[in-house]
Amino acid sequence: MKVLAAGVVPLLLVLHWKHGAGSPLPITPGNGTCATRHPCHSNLMNQIRNQLAQLNGSANALFILYYTAQGEPFPNNLDKLCGPNVTDFPPFHANGTEKAKLVELYRVIAYLGASLGNITRDQKLLNPSALSLHSKLNATADVLRGLLSNVLCRLCSKYHVAHVDVAYGPDTSGKDVFQKKKLGCQLLGKYKQVIAVVAQAF
Amino acid sequence: MALFAVFQTTFLLTLLSLRTHQSEVLAEHLPLTPEALKVSVNSAQQCLHLQWTVHNLPYNQEFKMIFQIQISRTETSNVIWMGNYSTTMKRNETVHWSWESELPLECAAHFVRIRSVVDDARFPEWNFWSSWSSWQEVNVQDSTGQDTLFVFPKDKLVEEGSNITICYISGNIQNDISCYLEGEQIHGEQLDPHVSTFKLENVPFIRKGGTNIYCEEKQRKAISNGTVLFVSKVLEEPKDFSCETRDFKTLICTWDPGANTALDWSKQPSQSYTLFESYSGKKKHCEEKNRCNWQITQDSQEIYNFTLITENYLRKRSVNLLFNLTHRVHPMSPFSVQFENISATSAVMTWKVHSLGDYFTLLCQVELHGEGKMIQHNVSVKANGKYLLNELEPNTEYVAQVHCADDNHFWKWSEWSGRDFTTPEAAPSEAPDVWRTMKSGSHNVTLFWKPLSKFHANGKILFYNVAVENLDKPSRLEHRSIPAPANSTELTLDGCSYQIRVTASNSAGASPAAVIVVSAAPGNKEIEEEIIEGTEDGFSMSWKPQSGDVMGYVVEWCDRPQDPLCDFQWKKLGPNTTSTVISSDAFRPGVQYNFRIYELSTKRIAHLLERKTGYTRELAPSDNPHVVTNNLTSHSFTLSWKNYSTKSQPAFIRGYHVYLKSKEEQCQPGAEKAVLPDDTVCCQYKIDNPEQKTFTVENLKPESFYEFLVTPHTSFSEGPSGTFTKVRTPDEYPYMLVHVIVPVVICVVLLVCGCLLKSQWMKDKCYPDIPDPYKSSVLSLIKSKENPHRTIMSISDCIPDAIEVVNKQEGSKIQSLGTRKSLTEPELTKLSYLYLLPTEKNYSGPGPCICFENYTYNQAASDCASCGHAPVSPEAPPSQWGLLTSSENLLKALEKNYMNSLGEIPAGETTLNYVSQLASPMSGDKDSLSTNALVPPPCSEYKMQMAVPLCLASPPPTENSDLSSITLLGPSEHYR
Repeated sequence: MKVLAAGVVPLLLVLHWKHGAGSPLPITPGNGTCATRHPCHSNLMNQIRNQLAQLNGSANALFILYYTAQGEPFPNNLDKLCGPNVTDFPPFHANGTEKAKLVELYRVIAYLGASLGNITRDQKLLNPSALSLHSKLNATADVLRGLLSNVLCRLCSKYHVAHVDVAYGPDTSGKDVFQKKKLGCQLLGKYKQVIAVVAQAF
Repeated sequence: MALFAVFQTTFLLTLLSLRTHQSEVLAEHLPLTPEALKVSVNSAQQCLHLQWTVHNLPYNQEFKMIFQIQISRTETSNVIWMGNYSTTMKRNETVHWSWESELPLECAAHFVRIRSVVDDARFPEWNFWSSWSSWQEVNVQDSTGQDTLFVFPKDKLVEEGSNITICYISGNIQNDISCYLEGEQIHGEQLDPHVSTFKLENVPFIRKGGTNIYCEEKQRKAISNGTVLFVSKVLEEPKDFSCETRDFKTLICTWDPGANTALDWSKQPSQSYTLFESYSGKKKHCEEKNRCNWQITQDSQEIYNFTLITENYLRKRSVNLLFNLTHRVHPMSPFSVQFENISATSAVMTWKVHSLGDYFTLLCQVELHGEGKMIQHNVSVKANGKYLLNELEPNTEYVAQVHCADDNHFWKWSEWSGRDFTTPEAAPSEAPDVWRTMKSGSHNVTLFWKPLSKFHANGKILFYNVAVENLDKPSRLEHRSIPAPANSTELTLDGCSYQIRVTASNSAGASPAAVIVVSAAPGNKEIEEEIIEGTEDGFSMSWKPQSGDVMGYVVEWCDRPQDPLCDFQWKKLGPNTTSTVISSDAFRPGVQYNFRIYELSTKRIAHLLERKTGYTRELAPSDNPHVVTNNLTSHSFTLSWKNYSTKSQPAFIRGYHVYLKSKEEQCQPGAEKAVLPDDTVCCQYKIDNPEQKTFTVENLKPESFYEFLVTPHTSFSEGPSGTFTKVRTPDEYPYMLVHVIVPVVICVVLLVCGCLLKSQWMKDKCYPDIPDPYKSSVLSLIKSKENPHRTIMSISDCIPDAIEVVNKQEGSKIQSLGTRKSLTEPELTKLSYLYLLPTEKNYSGPGPCICFENYTYNQAASDCASCGHAPVSPEAPPSQWGLLTSSENLLKALEKNYMNSLGEIPAGETTLNYVSQLASPMSGDKDSLSTNALVPPPCSEYKMQMAVPLCLASPPPTENSDLSSITLLGPSEHYR
């Protein structure tokens, strides 16, 4: 059983980062056994806080870089095009228990990671010369990846939560270019808003 | 013949029968309506692809047919396009045809139908239209939600400058929708309640990432949807397409590709380039955008016909180039460029070229750059090149380079190959230009020479040799070597004539000598200076030759005459020249330049010929002379400005104007009225001699004010209008008074002096001394003869009844009523004291105590305890004064305070001092001085003696009262 659990977690992680992997992961019982491949860091929560602060500090710059690279009408119509109305974004309740917050954070990061992957892919095609945007997107994805690992470690080691149901945003691969730009802008607007709340909650 | 007729008839009948059968067959299956019509859609291309067949065609042979196609939009009755399509087909063969819509197919439903006709001359009877096929509907966007908005086409690729139609489909017809292209609203027309179309003409290229078009719902204030139009730049035809070979192995074709038409989002890559050669039929895809290499085969192909094809998703262009290979030879650059046998004036240049074959001759061009000049030479070369570079300058750096081209069919020069070299030095080719100056009255000669030009120096001048030879008597030749870059040397000669030879030397040798002779008798007579007019271009001057046999002339001057170093200059002129223009960049307006013109005899002796002076441009004098007034009398005064130098002025001073202002309306003789710039009228005296620097104004009135101004004037202006100086003429009478009063005063003084010298005599004569009765001779007689006890009555024997106290200006006296002692009795007289207290506010030591034993004023002191030794403390607060309402209180307070200040001198222990009225405290009693350990600075002030009444002893109690300045007075016997 342990072997099975040890194999599921990395698989879960791999699946999270598959661009546009649309369907949610199978839900597993909350009381399932949990094991991590490597021992968790001693000051895990500090690391999580620092990572959240880092993301919060760079979210606005990423947002600005993104909408600037899309051209008109994006920079001058942020409210109409980039409003944070992403309907299926995972909820986050700042006043919950640490366990609940970590579970919700896990979902948020998983959602963001997948969406950011889509955006990065689209922008590399659409704006191949926007190197600073690409760099920022990659850096944010890197931090999100590390954060996801830390959160999972914390959930596993302290709360014995091995699996969290996650959902992803819509796959944009079939959308037209304008919709991709718009969805990316909305997502990054939402990310900027949510990450501030999350960073404050921890 | 008959047989032929039968055969012909039979053939015709057979043909007729066959034809009749065919007609019957066709008539049976008519109409030939197209069937199995299928319509497919390519949204990206906005194309409808139609395919159909005609089943009813008879026979299995090809028929030439015409199909008429109708396309309707929105509804079948709205036919937007109708056209014919001709083709040949067989029975059951599927026909394909495409139609491109200008409107995105998503914007509206389209309907298609077809009919056909046989257009074959073989079957004219079937030449009629079949019936239409049934309408085939094409509806790409078949579901539109209530709140949805779609914009079409999606991500379309178009070319810059083309026209395009877009549309939006709105589920809610109530919405007010506006569409924008990069922020600028576009206007369209409504196709139906849900659909509006917009025709965009001449669409611009904005960015590689596409042009955003979006639609905004005004009521929701939301940009619901949009589309990105990928506008590609127009593919340009390649320019400057050209091919050449450098080695007959490879053809290098190059061109200017023009704008890159690549778009982001992989919508369109950069345009591709393909090279096609028609004679060989070979094709090559070029990896680079602007060049392509083509391998030359060894099949001796000379003529090439290249087509360069460029294409992108939207367009294809090509350019053609036909050429002979041997006419497109671009040789490689020469190599191994060397120089041999480099001398001061020549060098041999060699180089090698890459061989192109035995039949090729190269034309090489040699370029020589040096000294700002360039020389070109052409050389024909097979394999190795060689060229003699001559007429070079010594000690000069040259750059020589060579490039080559095909001599038979010039196409292009190769790149340059070159090197630099420097020619060695040679001896200077010309003697230095030498001149001298001689100080008048001495035998010091300063030799000057100008550095040789690079052209004549032929190298770096290391030193100058000066050889001095005495011409009057045989002596050893004196040599002097002066290192460069010195340009002068000073020689001290005696009264003989000398020949001086100057040469310049570099590492290769010495120059020819410049010879100059210094004569024993210069014979420079006094020559008057001539004024010349200069211009911005210099000074033009001429002179008259004195002797016919001259070597030449020399004009000398200083470029900066006001500087101590002067920047000495000269110009040598030929013997036939009697005029020249001296110009210099150093010449400045307002500076006087002096020129001396010398004549050089055949013996090289210089004689001063003429002197010239002038300005390039005269400026107005900037200062007026400083004028001193002398000899002021009641009728005249003299003005003097002797320190004013006319030489250092910015123009020739021609004289002076003296302006005189007075109350008199009429000017004196010699003056004339002048109006000043401030419109005041005054008298003007003119002085035309610039060296006259004094002027006497006469005929003035005594006791009158005059104002004067002296200003220099030049030929065109005068000095600045400065401030007038005021002068007042004195009265006439004081002179008379001086003549009378001074003798009288002297006499009086002499008289007084005489009187003083004879004062004793005068006293004796005018007021002799009263005789002393004690010393009278009468007394001696009485004493000795009549009564030996008899004497003059002593005042001390008298007992006074009353004492009257009299206050005097010079001192008050208060006498105790209780005393019965005579004040005139020296041994009984008590001492009276006057203390001079310190006046310094912060003085803390004991005050200087001078006690005057004053017999003269005949006052008696009462009690020594109340003498002025009672000290006053300077620390007593000013407020205490207000409390001292009685003299007793006052004294107590003062005594207390002063005790504190005097410290070690208690009031009761005051020492009695007998001090002479004229004695200084230092000469007083030593005990007294020793008591006061802290002896203040000596004070021998003898204050005015004045008795202070008790009521005055207390000063008014003001806050500013200074205790230390108060003189203490006791209830009595205190004096000041």
